[in-house]
Amino acid sequence: MELQLQHLCKQYGSKCAVDNISVNLVPGVYGLLGANGAGKTTLMRMICGVLKPTSGSIRLNGKSMQELGEQYYTHLGYMPQDFGFYPDFTAREFMLYMAAVKGLGSKEARRKTEKLLDMVNLHDVADKKIKSYSGGMKQRLGIAQAELNDPSILILDEPTAGLDPKERVRFRNIISGFAKKKIVILSTHIVSDVSYIADTILMMKQGRFLLQEPMSTVTDGICGKVWEVLVNERDAAKYSRRFCVVNLHHENNRVRLRIVDETAPSADAYTVEPSLEDLFLYHFGEEVQNERGENDENAG
Amino acid sequence: MMKTLVKYEFLKILRKKSTLIVMAVSLLLTAFLFGLPILQYQTYNADGVIKGIDGIAYTKEQYLQISVPLTDEYITETIREVQGLFENPDNIGFDGTEKFLIGDTYWNDIAPRETLLNLIARNYVKPGIYVGYNSMTDLDVTNGANFYEARNAKIEMVLNDPSCELSAAQKEYWQNMNSKVDIPLQYGYYEGWEIIFTCFEHFMFAILAVCITIAPVFCGEYQAGTDAVILSGKYGKTKLITAKILSSLAFGLLAFTIHVVVACGALLAAFGVDGWNLPLQIAGTTVPYPLTFIQATLINLGVIYLVLLALIGLTLLLSAKMKNSYLVMVVIVPILFIPMFLTPSGTTGAYNLFLFLLPYRSTMPEIGNYISYQLGGLVLDLLSVRAILYAVLTAILLPLARLGFKKHQVS
Repeated sequence: MELQLQHLCKQYGSKCAVDNISVNLVPGVYGLLGANGAGKTTLMRMICGVLKPTSGSIRLNGKSMQELGEQYYTHLGYMPQDFGFYPDFTAREFMLYMAAVKGLGSKEARRKTEKLLDMVNLHDVADKKIKSYSGGMKQRLGIAQAELNDPSILILDEPTAGLDPKERVRFRNIISGFAKKKIVILSTHIVSDVSYIADTILMMKQGRFLLQEPMSTVTDGICGKVWEVLVNERDAAKYSRRFCVVNLHHENNRVRLRIVDETAPSADAYTVEPSLEDLFLYHFGEEVQNERGENDENAG
Repeated sequence: MMKTLVKYEFLKILRKKSTLIVMAVSLLLTAFLFGLPILQYQTYNADGVIKGIDGIAYTKEQYLQISVPLTDEYITETIREVQGLFENPDNIGFDGTEKFLIGDTYWNDIAPRETLLNLIARNYVKPGIYVGYNSMTDLDVTNGANFYEARNAKIEMVLNDPSCELSAAQKEYWQNMNSKVDIPLQYGYYEGWEIIFTCFEHFMFAILAVCITIAPVFCGEYQAGTDAVILSGKYGKTKLITAKILSSLAFGLLAFTIHVVVACGALLAAFGVDGWNLPLQIAGTTVPYPLTFIQATLINLGVIYLVLLALIGLTLLLSAKMKNSYLVMVVIVPILFIPMFLTPSGTTGAYNLFLFLLPYRSTMPEIGNYISYQLGGLVLDLLSVRAILYAVLTAILLPLARLGFKKHQVS
């Protein structure tokens, strides 16, 4: 199983949402990271055939999506970002409906529905209308429908958005359970979600892949560049302006700063083990800060 | 597979609260509009006015005496009878412009069959002129009434009226159609059918209700954010679209049929089905269509069903192309209701011929008018053109709706 994205582009007017992306994907879990607007969702929609690329091609085992036609979609399981449900359907009805859309026979549809509802812990509430479900229950139903046809390509766009930490852990475990022998592309901007389950990290910025690395070596590039330093509160602001501060922790009257930089920010700074979050913030610190600023303004 | 998809798509439409509310309101409105003629029905006898169901029963009873074939002999005798009544000055009233019968003579000899007498009297005057039984005094029936000759002469006048602007081919078409009318005409009670004919336009509200309920079939997926997940399914761009179209058609036809049953059922229950097999010409001798009341009703209903199908097609196309169902209705409502305010100025000319084909006008049978369309040597009457037009529109719009959803880009 090989999914090839070849020179994939998506242009909206003068804005290039996805810019000449080429990658060969083989079974494994891919964590697609990027700030909001990086092009993750656009890329996933193109892979799922619900958005036409401006140029480039998507090939599965050497055959283009157009050549494969309906056959392409039999390999696909998709859980879009913020995807809605039919509030007046029960979970069981929704699953049976989706099974029919995915081309499963009625017997197989019933069997898979019961199995998956059980796996995502919704069996007891399967006959309740979806409108009565919590956010977490809806997300679990979302992943269950994506698994109905036992897809070899599973695309999950921000599947943990809006979930509390407990639900997120639960969700991660469900995905891990489904991931065997599949190409799983998991998009998120919650770094800890992918750090546990991804084999490969794909980092996107302004429509391009900034980085394609195995999880085990992804932070190698910033090894020796992540520092911690204990400063007084007055100096903390200065450091924040001058350096990429990825974490800030108050300890009595002092502040422990975690900084990513080529050189030591001060003489008493010492290097620490880099994490995926350090890497993410190293690349997207500015965007994340802008987003936070916008959120604060909106909240204000 | 398709059965399952159609079932769930049908359920999606049916389970929406808005569907139930719109359908309930529309059914109540239809029942009210079609029930109104029953409540408002009134007839008179010497003792005064008789309203509603009693009035209908009284009218039916009066017709028992006149449910006869309208032979020349019968009409001659009838005209002579009326002329005889006018010979006695005691029977006659005068309102300054015309004479009419009064007192017991009117109530006993005219009132029970006044509709028939008016029909006979109008057969002998020029098209567009409305006269009553009292004009029979001017008729010379010494050589018989020659009722059907007079009918043919009147039809010729209609066909040769310069304002009708009929071509030779169109005249021939209508003459040929008229020649198929069986004579002598059988007369009888047909009140229920006549009222159905005047109420057909009220079905526009049922059509609107169907359009409202199916408006979200495609754009509802965009609004709910379910478009991405269904379009990425194996049958999302193929069988599912067919299932959506089939379920919309099934829902539309079922919902509309319930309205038809309620509307026509109420009227026929009150007025009776009597007259179903009588010819349309007993409501107006120049009506060209050689049909009985039930045939004409079914044909016009068939046309309305085709209008409905085309409007379902248009609604689905707009639904596939637009972001939400409100935008769909912003287009559909004017298409349905603006023609209500446009009145035809005649039966010819591009404007009038276009107006008669619009959805609102297409619910009205216009069976008394000689409206025809000519394309080269081919002449077709209004009902046929409507049927063909809306069938063709349905055949075009449904595939376009299908393509619209198939090509939809999730963004």
